[in-house]
Amino acid sequence: MDLINPTVVDLSRFQFALTALYHFMFVPLTLGLTFMLAAMETVYVVTGRKIYKEMAQFWGKLFGINFAIGVATGITMEFEFGTNWSMYSRFFGDMFGTPLAIEGLMAFFMESTFVGLMFFGWDRLSKPAHLAVTYLVALGSNLSALWILVANASMNVPEGAHFDPETMRMQFDSFVHVVFNPDAQSKFVHTSVAGYVSAALFVMGISAFYILRGQHKQFAARSFRMAALFGIISTVAVITLGDVLGRMDYEKQPTKIAAIEGLWHTSKPPYEPWILAALPDDAKQENHFEIGVPFVLTPLIAHDFNTPITGLHELEDAAEPRIRSGIEAVSALRRYGETHQQADLDIFHAHENDMGYGFLATRHAPGQDVTAIPAAALDQVVQETKPDILPNVFVTFWAFRLMVFLALYFFALFAISSYVSLKNKLERNKLLLRLCMWSIPLPILATEFGWITAEAGRQPWTVFNKLPTFMSASTHSVSYMLFSLAGFAVLYSIFIAAELYLMFKFARLGPEAHDTPHDSATPTHLHAVSSAPAAH
Amino acid sequence: MVILRLAGLALVLVISLLFAVFVGDQGPWYFAWVIGTVMIILISGAGAILFDAQTDDSAESEV
Repeated sequence: MDLINPTVVDLSRFQFALTALYHFMFVPLTLGLTFMLAAMETVYVVTGRKIYKEMAQFWGKLFGINFAIGVATGITMEFEFGTNWSMYSRFFGDMFGTPLAIEGLMAFFMESTFVGLMFFGWDRLSKPAHLAVTYLVALGSNLSALWILVANASMNVPEGAHFDPETMRMQFDSFVHVVFNPDAQSKFVHTSVAGYVSAALFVMGISAFYILRGQHKQFAARSFRMAALFGIISTVAVITLGDVLGRMDYEKQPTKIAAIEGLWHTSKPPYEPWILAALPDDAKQENHFEIGVPFVLTPLIAHDFNTPITGLHELEDAAEPRIRSGIEAVSALRRYGETHQQADLDIFHAHENDMGYGFLATRHAPGQDVTAIPAAALDQVVQETKPDILPNVFVTFWAFRLMVFLALYFFALFAISSYVSLKNKLERNKLLLRLCMWSIPLPILATEFGWITAEAGRQPWTVFNKLPTFMSASTHSVSYMLFSLAGFAVLYSIFIAAELYLMFKFARLGPEAHDTPHDSATPTHLHAVSSAPAAH
Repeated sequence: MVILRLAGLALVLVISLLFAVFVGDQGPWYFAWVIGTVMIILISGAGAILFDAQTDDSAESEV
């Protein structure tokens, strides 16, 4: 069996990472901004004040730019599974394809249909009907994310499927298990709410820009207030839900959690510090220096003070019997494919759960064939395979920390912003306003770091414990991969430039003049609100 | 008309309860997302209404 050229695998990984990270610059804003639009329009429908309609329309315009370019960058990724990851698609297509198909046919079509109604329906639909449409856009965009994350979760924690030795594919057992996979649940809520944070800071930052320039003050102050409150609760939620996701990784992907924490040796509770900063060295398998906070790691990960967290070295050692068992499984599978003897099938089923570890060993087997490993060389193959089970610790460790540090910064920023806004002292806090403005890109960066943590931490697997990444790519040439990679980089950079140009242009133009009273609703709100004319 | 509206609201209530029982049991974090998102929207909206109560609409007023 010939392995796929490792350079092609690396280029395929790089290309997918690049396109995914580009695409993910647009996604969080869409996820959150739709619900912010729904919140603004809800206030408009409840109070009848036109300024909230204008807010929903203006921020909706910026949402529209982001949505259009986000869709364009997302479509190519679905094709990449077929073009660059054909071995993966063959092995896992049943599992991965189903949620992707539902995403396209249900969520994306729903979102796209209602986006049209939302933009063009202001003068054609009643107020409640248009509000319902806006909510459906928000629901559609988040359902879209749900199905993508259900698909991703099935790669991280493959549940609801089994491997069929006849077809050599993972086959669907239970749709309910796939949809309600605990990893899918925690990933979806964490990612969706991270989008809320991105949208809140986006609205808050642009509103701060208007207040600093003394433009559209009433419009900007209301937008700022809504975004600050939206953001502070979302940030608390995203941190809490991140803990849920960490707990899930601790139970299901111990190598990922050990890499996230830079934990080379099993922890010693309760003293074990949570490492704030370190220089993990993957080659030497150690950290060069560490700054940590004692007594934090164990309760953070295990939610108690007594449970040791297994380190990377110990996880490596624990993998040894699985690698031996996996070699048995893959050998039996190979023999079964040639002879169809029941005895081989029985051996395979006895070792089936470790099959992925057998695939990992193929890289070190003579002729990449585990059936050709001489008994005398077995120990050496197993020892060479052991370090392969670990992800890149440096990348996973720092991607996670940068995400966490940014989340804590957002918490502080939203908390102070909410307080200052509630006190109506925004104009006196120019430094805060500038900070909000310059922080607009940071949640996007944080979500990118989160994505890197999740995906780099899953390595060396595309399907955790089942299929190694080096066996998942297509058999392209290096030149083909370089050419397509360069093409994507140029094309997506153009998309980013277009997005930035349009966003800056329309944000600078601002909403229509809002600095004069618009409607008959007086500030003494609710009574007047209920009697305000239903102006469209 | 009133009876129809009541019947509609009762239907929404029943569906919501079934949703809460089923999703709350099978997918507690999905349920938490629904409840949490509604709460975030309501608090954000309440902040805007509070703003209206605190200020007048003139461009000169401090924000």
